[in-house]
Amino acid sequence: MIANADALLKPLTIKGLTIRNRVMSTSHAPSYGKDGKPQERYQLYHEEKAKGGIGLTMFGGSSSVSVDSPAAPWNQISVADDSVVPFFREFSGRIHRHGAKLMIQLTHMGRRTKWDTEHWLPVKSPSVTREPASRAMAKALEQEEIDRIVADFAAAAKRCQEGGLDGCEISAAHGHLVDQFWSPHSNKRSDKYGGSLDNRMRFGIEVLTAMRAAVGDDFVIGIRMSGDEMLKGGLSHEDCVAIAADYAGRGLVDFLNIMGGQARDHIAHAVSLPNMSFPVAPFLALPSAIKREVDVPIFHAQRVTDLATGARAVAEGHVDMIAMTRAHIADPHLVKKLSEGRADDIRQCVGAGYCIDRIYVGGDALCIQNAATGREATMPHVIKKAAATKTAVVIGGGVGGLEAARVLAERGHQVTLFEKSDRLGGQVNLASKATWREALSGIPRWLTGQVQKLGVDIRLNTEANEAEIAALAPDIVIVATGGLPQKGEASGFDHAVTTWDVLEGRSEPSGSVLLYDEIGGHNAASTAEHLAKKGCLVEIVTHDRMIGEEIGPTNQPVHLRELYKLGVLMTPNAELIEIYPEGNRLIAALRNTMTDAEEERVVDSVVVDYGTQPVDGLHFKLKDKAKNKGLTDLKALIDGRPQPFETNGAAPRGEGRAGGYTLYRIGDAVAGRNIHAAIYDALRLCKDL
Amino acid sequence: MTATFLPWIVVLMIAVAGVQIGRRLRLWRRGQPAPVDWLGGLRALPKRYLVDVHHVVERDRAAAKMHVPLAGGLVAACGFLLIGLVTGLTAWRFFWALVTLAFLAMTAGALLEIRRRYPRRLARLSGGSWQTFPFALIAFAIASGLSALFATFGNALPALELLTLILAAVGGVALAATAAEGPMRHALAGATHLVVHPRPQRFGGGRSTELKPLDLDAEKLGTETPADFAWNRLVAFDACVQCGRCEAACPAFAAGQPLSPKHLIADLAAASAGGERPPYHGNPYPNARPVGGRIGLHAPIVSAEGVIHPDTLWSCTTCRACVEECPMMIEHVDTIIDLRRFQTQERGAIPLKAEEPLANFRGCDEPNGRVLAERTDFAAGLKLPVIAAGGQTDVLLWLGQAAFDLRGQRTLTALIRILTAAKVDIAVLGADERDCGDLARRLGDEATFQRLASANVAALASVRFRRILTADPHALHVLRNEYPAFGGTYEVVHHTAFLAELAAAGRIPLSPLAGRSITYHDPCYLGRYNGEVEAPRRLLDALGLERHEMARSGKRAMCCGGGGGAPVADIPGDTRIPDLRMAQAAETGAKTVAVACPQCAAMLEGVTGERPVVKDVAELFLEAIEAAAMRPAEAVRALEVEPA
Ligand SMILES: Cc1cc2nc3c(=O)[nH]c(=O)nc-3n(C[C@H](O)[C@H](O)[C@H](O)COP(=O)(O)O)c2cc1C
Ligand code: SF4
Ligand code: SF4
Ligand code: SF4
Repeated sequence: MIANADALLKPLTIKGLTIRNRVMSTSHAPSYGKDGKPQERYQLYHEEKAKGGIGLTMFGGSSSVSVDSPAAPWNQISVADDSVVPFFREFSGRIHRHGAKLMIQLTHMGRRTKWDTEHWLPVKSPSVTREPASRAMAKALEQEEIDRIVADFAAAAKRCQEGGLDGCEISAAHGHLVDQFWSPHSNKRSDKYGGSLDNRMRFGIEVLTAMRAAVGDDFVIGIRMSGDEMLKGGLSHEDCVAIAADYAGRGLVDFLNIMGGQARDHIAHAVSLPNMSFPVAPFLALPSAIKREVDVPIFHAQRVTDLATGARAVAEGHVDMIAMTRAHIADPHLVKKLSEGRADDIRQCVGAGYCIDRIYVGGDALCIQNAATGREATMPHVIKKAAATKTAVVIGGGVGGLEAARVLAERGHQVTLFEKSDRLGGQVNLASKATWREALSGIPRWLTGQVQKLGVDIRLNTEANEAEIAALAPDIVIVATGGLPQKGEASGFDHAVTTWDVLEGRSEPSGSVLLYDEIGGHNAASTAEHLAKKGCLVEIVTHDRMIGEEIGPTNQPVHLRELYKLGVLMTPNAELIEIYPEGNRLIAALRNTMTDAEEERVVDSVVVDYGTQPVDGLHFKLKDKAKNKGLTDLKALIDGRPQPFETNGAAPRGEGRAGGYTLYRIGDAVAGRNIHAAIYDALRLCKDL
Repeated sequence: MTATFLPWIVVLMIAVAGVQIGRRLRLWRRGQPAPVDWLGGLRALPKRYLVDVHHVVERDRAAAKMHVPLAGGLVAACGFLLIGLVTGLTAWRFFWALVTLAFLAMTAGALLEIRRRYPRRLARLSGGSWQTFPFALIAFAIASGLSALFATFGNALPALELLTLILAAVGGVALAATAAEGPMRHALAGATHLVVHPRPQRFGGGRSTELKPLDLDAEKLGTETPADFAWNRLVAFDACVQCGRCEAACPAFAAGQPLSPKHLIADLAAASAGGERPPYHGNPYPNARPVGGRIGLHAPIVSAEGVIHPDTLWSCTTCRACVEECPMMIEHVDTIIDLRRFQTQERGAIPLKAEEPLANFRGCDEPNGRVLAERTDFAAGLKLPVIAAGGQTDVLLWLGQAAFDLRGQRTLTALIRILTAAKVDIAVLGADERDCGDLARRLGDEATFQRLASANVAALASVRFRRILTADPHALHVLRNEYPAFGGTYEVVHHTAFLAELAAAGRIPLSPLAGRSITYHDPCYLGRYNGEVEAPRRLLDALGLERHEMARSGKRAMCCGGGGGAPVADIPGDTRIPDLRMAQAAETGAKTVAVACPQCAAMLEGVTGERPVVKDVAELFLEAIEAAAMRPAEAVRALEVEPA
């Protein structure tokens, strides 16, 4: 039992609304909206949290109130017309059934959006400015437009109320229209909306006043805002405290949802959604300071990944509600597990930021380690028991193999897990060796804890072979043997070592190092950082247009910040063509991919990252004897049906002895991809075995 | 010769025993007055002895086989002889044949008793005079039996007959002489105790388990010295036959805490007599704390100088296992509570860790210092109406302490979910529900208990309901059996019974939890205190669970260690009671221990290491509901399976 758990489990009443506990999820845009509406997928995603015991779940991050704040970019929700109301009704019914409360975030994004989407309308802002992150040049708002947007907010609030939502907040955080008015950085007006703080606050006051008039006194309305923009020329902490005190003092808001920082450019954005390089709850002091000045409840989110930290924040009076937004993406059953005394079973968010990073490249939010999140219609968060017990063998204790072992064991099967090395976790163990990526180790740690608890027979230091597998007479064999690094095709590649060699300590380069990255992922960037921290003079060279091109926007800026700080030389648009020794040093020949011009570097070591080759030898040895010839039926996989040859419940256990086994290959053993792919491979397949 | 003398030997024995017991009588009379229905008691005596006592004795078959011929033979033989003396039947040979048979039976019984003690004594029995007692019995039986035999066949060997008669007289008088201080006392005091028993309601199939209210205006609150006990309670102590059945059943004794109910009763019997502390030949209190051993009718009992160490007193869980087992119908728990009442209310001498809950009771009406209005906090996401004064509901849900504790909340949440699914009209008192007072009362704080009881009775009087439902057997017991003394009489139903009703009515679809093996742990306050051992089992069977019984179950189940304030008193022993109970549960091979009390759940879940999981019956019930709701999908899935 965690300390202060009872502080978390106390209800909070705001106006007439009683929230059953102090744990919430802030509004975010998971990109699950469809036609601007929260449809089945979106609702199921939040329903899972409601089932999991959350007090308040806020959906619809950045839901738009006006047509000139398009909903399309992140598949968001449009509250700009009445057609959304029936969806709200269905949604709130679903959440209320489980005792949780449901609110939405309403906003006008102002300049923080795109013009080349559904309606092709120019973006609007108090003044003609451009936000580096969203890249749009804004049109300055005219008074009539301001009045229209104020009315749009009011109409949207009314729709929320009609849809049975328990409340809403407006976003004045992350640089949306309301805080574009507040911040001198984006507000250069000289009329009654610009200049003094009082003037800059006016627009928000008009919005909230109109909303209140539309919905009456009882509907809960709050605001999300920064407690300090941490930006030269932006809103200081004092400004933010003054705004919060003013709005709360006027009775305009029923709660304040405080965050730290802003999001005008890449690094600011990375700070506002702190990844694993940040300590836990880095900005808790901001809501705490504001709480001292106001009488309304305070919410806060920002890398509170464990209940103990959340409980402390509430118990010590820093906040009234603690938001654990990504923590719920990683495990929607947080609170339930806490109150069932199963806090050990909580899959803790590791702060990889995979979820948020995906939506900025047009994907949907998915959790790096929990493949069921956002896929509730097809993927179970709680694995159902199979009708009959089977014998299963999983080969490879990386995260894919671990997830397969976990799911099969949850199904009630008898599972044996082989791992060649002395540790479970596979490549993730390697990744977590590099600098701030340490927290990745949380992924295999949880999986390991679960398979141990489920009684999986774990055989470490054991390389599985045909005989050993046959001796177990399995019904199911899963090959999750992962991949091994390759050295690429540049001539003289034998002179290079791989990033694996470096991270595993097999090679300890010193002096000058050229690190060639063909992949653009975390691997090379963090190896470069690792080497530079050890005193190497590092140049990282990549084929891509920039370093870490594959890495998402809340992580790449952190890599770049560290590499800059360490003086790592970054050379994009170059290809490694040759390595050859000269004396006791190496020459690396590079070719500029744009001009074909060649240049050479004299270095002590060359380190390369070309991704991995599947380790599939055992798979092909087992393939011929397998009933399914080692092939996964893709149609059945996608449809969520049991694989052919799987006799679920029809045949008794040990049938494998007579009828042979089915064989499946998952994760990087099929093709080098990422953690999520390996885990999804495993869950998707094994849940039906 | 026999015909002339043997009846007179019996008369002599009665005279000697009478003088002896008269000494005890004078002592009993120094106890406090108590209302006793002498006539009713006397009339009921044969039935109480032959039915109620026998019911207990018979549980130990070997003991019954010993006692029936031994006591029966003795009583019959003496009875016949007295009748013979009055009616002149002694002239009749057939009469002597009967007497001989009676003594023969007695001899057989005495032999069986010797077998229980030689070559090795049963661990729970006492040594000392108890060990030699069967020899006095057998000597008397054989000598008298032979005399009677001679009388049956005519006077053939007068010298021998004289010898057996002398032997019979010596043996008989020796037996009679132990009636005050020795083993024979149990027979006379035991019979008297049956007549004047402080809880006559418990006989004839009745049940009487509620603690009796204490007069708070009395000069002295609770019991300090033997003289403070009601006189018929002093009789009870003297009735103890040191059979040790209570000790064998006592969880605190088993866990190596310094408590043995047998030793305690023997100490109390000794304490009232005064003088030198007589030797005790049973098992010592485990890890006995040293005491001074000062005894006397007016000497404080519980103290380092007295006979009973406070740790002994506070080790008791009030589980009533001892009372359930005692063939002499002794009420150990009443005794312990009386002693605690004095310690708590007159001396404030309570275990350190019990101070806080008692202080909290005074300030907050609740042992953990929580705000009463927070009792419904856990249910903020559930449908749980709070009833206002003047309001009405069919079922009033009494939440109890469980509502403040995570483990308990899980059970209550499951229960509320079930009730909602079954569309039962429920409501709770909200902030008007004070603690039921069970803990305060068992810790001896009667004043607090009475205050809470009156307040709760008043709150309950302000609303209308048909019955009270609770998942807490302690609350159930207090509300059902102890509040009537404070003007509150209710129909109180435990959730096991309620859910069994629901299951039987078939109102909610349940999917059998087949293939799951469970063992059910009976809460003392439900099983022994309220006799409810059937409904929970009916319920578990209705859920399709595979039920394995522990060796000790039903009314003879072992306590989890959670009652009577024992967890807050926290008297150390060799091990913990819940560990012992959990080991018994594990022994059945069941993967789940089903519980029906928040206290049991907390105690058993506190057991570390590999063990069965602990589930309240409500949680299991909810699982069956959820399984039923999930079934269609599974069925479809099965049909989809492709042929190999
Ligand atoms: C996928 C994703 C989308 C988000 N979109 C929004 C948004 O539209 N509006 C907003 O105010 N916050 C948004 N956030 C930020 C979250 O509300 C929250 O502030 C952030 O995740 C930090 O809290 P955490 O550490 O508990 O996850 C988003 C977060 C994620 C992960
Ligand atoms: S992807 Fe990472 S940051 Fe996002 S929820 Fe999952 S573990 Fe947390
Ligand atoms: S009530 Fe239970 S714990 Fe107390 S003395 Fe009797 S058997 Fe022992
Ligand atoms: S108290 Fe009862 S059970 Fe215990 S030893 Fe005495 S007679 Fe036997």
